Amino acid sequence: MSPPALRIRCARQAMAARSLPFSPLIAARPQKEFEMPTAGPFGAAVKRVEDPRFLVGQTSFVEGMVLPNMLSVAFLRSPYAHAKIRSIDVSKALALPGVVRVLTGEEAIKRCKPIRVEWKESKFEVDFKPCDYPAIAVERTRHVGEIVAAVVAENRYLAEDGVELIEVEWEPLPAVVDPEKALEKGGTLVHEEWGDNVMLHSHIRGGDVEGAFRQADVVVKGRFAMNRHCAAPMEGRAVVANYDAAQNGMTVWTSTQMPHMVRTKIAEALDYPEHRIRVIGPDVGGGFGLKCHIFPEELALSLLTLDVKRPLKWVEDRRENLYGSYHAKDDICYAELAVKNDGTILGLKTKFIGDVGAYTSYPWTPSFEPLQAAMAVPGPYKIHHVHCEALAVATNKTTSSVYRGVGLPAAQYTMEHILDLAAAKIGMDPAEIRRKNIMKSSDFPVTSVTGLYYDSATPLESLDMALEMIKYPEFRKEQEAARKQGKYLGIGISAMIEMTTFGFEYWRAAGLKSVTGYDSAHLRVDPNGGVTLTVGTFNHGQGHPTAYAQLVADGIGCKIEDVTFIQGDTQMTPYGWGTWGSRSAVAGGGAVIKASEKIREKMFRVAANLMEVSAQDLELKDGKVQVKGVPGKSMTIREVAQATVYTADVPDDDEPGLEASYYYKAPTPYANSTHIAVVEVDPETGYTKILRYVVTEDCGRMINPMIVDGQIAGGVAQGIGQAMFEHHQFDESGQILTTSLMDYLIPSCADVPPMQFGHLETPCPISVGGIKGMGEGGAVAPPPAIANAIADALAPLAGWKPIGRLPMSPEVVRRQIA
Amino acid sequence: MKPPAFDYVCARSLDEAIDALGRRPGEAKILAGGQSLTPMLNFRLAHPGMLVDINRIPGIDAIRDDDGGVRIGTLARHRAIEVSDSIRKKFPILTAAAAHVGHLAIRNRGTFGGSIAHADPAAEWPMLALLLDAQIEAKGPQGARTIPAREFFTTFLTTALGDAEILTEVKLPALPAKTGWGFEELSRRPGDFALAAVAAIVTLDGKTIKDARISMGGVGGTPLRAPGAEALLRGKPADAALFEQAGKKAAEESDPSNDVHATADYRRHLVSVLTRRALTSAAEKAAQG
Repeated sequence: MSPPALRIRCARQAMAARSLPFSPLIAARPQKEFEMPTAGPFGAAVKRVEDPRFLVGQTSFVEGMVLPNMLSVAFLRSPYAHAKIRSIDVSKALALPGVVRVLTGEEAIKRCKPIRVEWKESKFEVDFKPCDYPAIAVERTRHVGEIVAAVVAENRYLAEDGVELIEVEWEPLPAVVDPEKALEKGGTLVHEEWGDNVMLHSHIRGGDVEGAFRQADVVVKGRFAMNRHCAAPMEGRAVVANYDAAQNGMTVWTSTQMPHMVRTKIAEALDYPEHRIRVIGPDVGGGFGLKCHIFPEELALSLLTLDVKRPLKWVEDRRENLYGSYHAKDDICYAELAVKNDGTILGLKTKFIGDVGAYTSYPWTPSFEPLQAAMAVPGPYKIHHVHCEALAVATNKTTSSVYRGVGLPAAQYTMEHILDLAAAKIGMDPAEIRRKNIMKSSDFPVTSVTGLYYDSATPLESLDMALEMIKYPEFRKEQEAARKQGKYLGIGISAMIEMTTFGFEYWRAAGLKSVTGYDSAHLRVDPNGGVTLTVGTFNHGQGHPTAYAQLVADGIGCKIEDVTFIQGDTQMTPYGWGTWGSRSAVAGGGAVIKASEKIREKMFRVAANLMEVSAQDLELKDGKVQVKGVPGKSMTIREVAQATVYTADVPDDDEPGLEASYYYKAPTPYANSTHIAVVEVDPETGYTKILRYVVTEDCGRMINPMIVDGQIAGGVAQGIGQAMFEHHQFDESGQILTTSLMDYLIPSCADVPPMQFGHLETPCPISVGGIKGMGEGGAVAPPPAIANAIADALAPLAGWKPIGRLPMSPEVVRRQIA
Repeated sequence: MKPPAFDYVCARSLDEAIDALGRRPGEAKILAGGQSLTPMLNFRLAHPGMLVDINRIPGIDAIRDDDGGVRIGTLARHRAIEVSDSIRKKFPILTAAAAHVGHLAIRNRGTFGGSIAHADPAAEWPMLALLLDAQIEAKGPQGARTIPAREFFTTFLTTALGDAEILTEVKLPALPAKTGWGFEELSRRPGDFALAAVAAIVTLDGKTIKDARISMGGVGGTPLRAPGAEALLRGKPADAALFEQAGKKAAEESDPSNDVHATADYRRHLVSVLTRRALTSAAEKAAQG
């Protein structure tokens, strides 16, 4: 099936339809030809309206909430990776003055259904096994940090004292820690009902990979072990739950990215009416994917507030955050790349083994990590023959789930690092081998060999721009001169194509019924022209209050400061899916644009009626509805609003009021970027300093370039964390060794270099407004750019050697040559 | 992450503090800057029955000149040492090392005496006290005494101080003329505890090394001197090959262990590199001065 021809106006690059070699796994819904919005605040680098409030501390984080009679909750967590709970004695804890209630798994499971994801039908070739994930462990714990009991007390100090007084008789069981050993037959099983430890197994095949490998001049192979790490947001998770007798219901404030989903799942788990639960996401101090789940703590507090009829608070401490919330990105990647001596890539075989920990997170399941890696690994290159295998393997470790990039970092590292290995093997420059194989704008749209529909992108143009910005040929001379003085400089390139938004068709194809790819916006204009915007997405640092206001201002002619932004309160906002997967600019922004269009159309009808002209003759200009070409004949936005909402001077067949909603089934656009790092390595110690860092990015039409730059910079900082610092480590018994920020290292400002950004702007042909997502690429591309740079720097000492494990600590780097 | 309950005494004099400590032997802990103790309390790794706060005791935070050397009061904050002119003049190695002590916020609160009494083998002040042959003064129920740095650090996080004894002041004796210093530390990130750190001082007589001292941090249960490497250097002309050799010897004398940040082998390798670099830098400065 070939998608029909797509045409847009105002495109900087013409997008010609072409015949597609592969059938798309995920159908594209071509957008109707659309008008590019007028030159207004859409695209302006305006400062974020929400920042001053945060900078002076006028915030509403859960931690700051105080309600009368509020109690505190602390959790007893499993000290063992795998153990049977023979008995629990809570009597001493209950006897402690100030302790109000203790909840164990045996009681909780009777009133709170376990978290569970079913995944039966899919257009992807997946074999998935579900498991029950109780809010509080019943009879057995499967990782260190799993909740064993909840203690409710007058304050957190007493609650933690109560936790220390609970007596558990444990029977430690052998733990499965190494994911490759977990695949061997006859070992310990994390979930006995599975019969093995494989949560998901998938194959993605395209072309004739064996045939392609037979034609190869050179085949290079690699094994790359990614580092288990975690999002570590500055604010951990936090919940306040309050049974409110006046409402005969409960309100749950939670530090989440998906408040509506949280409400739906609390209702289902507790069998409590959804309309009597109000979930509010207040200010959230970082999420990065960690907070787009329903968590056991949210269920436990909801259950407990119904019992004690008092407000309850739990704020995750850093230790809980590091071992009791979710980990991510723990993949072992095997890859083989077949190339010709001229650098042409012929075929690719990969196998991603994701160590996904103990349980299935809701709604994603942890298996999207290796699955996405397998789908995305060919990247922006013309590769026609692949076999990509994905395995999600359960172990007795903290549950692993989605974190900025989901699977893409493993794919990116594998592809970009093995490409440099191939280049080294055939004696070709890394920039040259990329230029030889990378797609250019006129190659799009195209369906990738793994079945992804790439709507539009500029990989070659972006690569060339980045090479230009870093002054690639000049650097090679500088590098040569430095080597003569005993200084080891290196350069590394990482080119990527970034799947964004994960829209409606994506989830329909995936068949995972726990999540859907639309989002919503509702606009209401008041008599004085002020606008209230409520949305189903959830800003937690992405700048939606500003970016969406720019879209509204562009669509209806008001000012940015006329827009009041409301999100995250399930009682006040339309149902939506929150913010994750680089989706909000496209899904939320598209809904905002379409709702604004409805408002504009009605404003035109009302104004046309009052000015006695045809609505077709009207335009928005300088904050007014005016007759085209007749500047004097106009009404201000405020006048139109007054007439529509206050005095009801509307056409006879129209209704008063100025409101509109839109629920947008979002597409799945692809952004692209190139990262280049220049490093200096001290070969004696392995210490690596990043000297320069360049990113060129094409995310379609930018709503606000300043926010785009900020997203890239923050992402690169996290990418550097993955590349060089962050690593959750466990001993052979499954005991976690990294439970403080002294041992789990996140980069500080001193570890992140200044960056330079370049932008291309190819309007997306399949999204409203020509917008693409771009929230994750910044975090995905850095590790191979840095690895390639380090390998390049050290090449004169021991030949070009791939770096087989992350993070690239000084010791790992030193061992490349010693 | 909240501490368990404890009693709290705010002492107004050293005698009052010593008295309070003596009333709960083995159970009371001194609270100075709190930069190590507070996290240990919050992690519930320490369960002291009582904290004796010495922050309000007047006069124990002074940095004073003394007979060519300096005396540093126990409550002197890291930051005070970092910006002290007197220390910059007499012991610039301390000024350089201060930049490696945690971060600015930590340096504003954490204390010199607290760091030495806590005796983290990877911390800067214990290894420099050992390098500079500091005289550590303590006061307890039996009165005052002076403990040489070499006898002070007994084992991991353990010192020669008694239960009710308080470290009161540290005396750093004057350095001879023609003495230069080198300080080399590598940590995963700026401000982290050292993977390995080496401090060296070299005293020259012409081109000959009259005396050399080497102290190593983060590579043993306590900060360590490298007596074999020091002996190797004494009386020999300062040159690159000798420093290389001394580095290897110091590495042999170190006793590092594995942790999540690095293996013992790598740390030992770092000792050899850092010792060579510290000695080279120290000899250059000695030749200039």
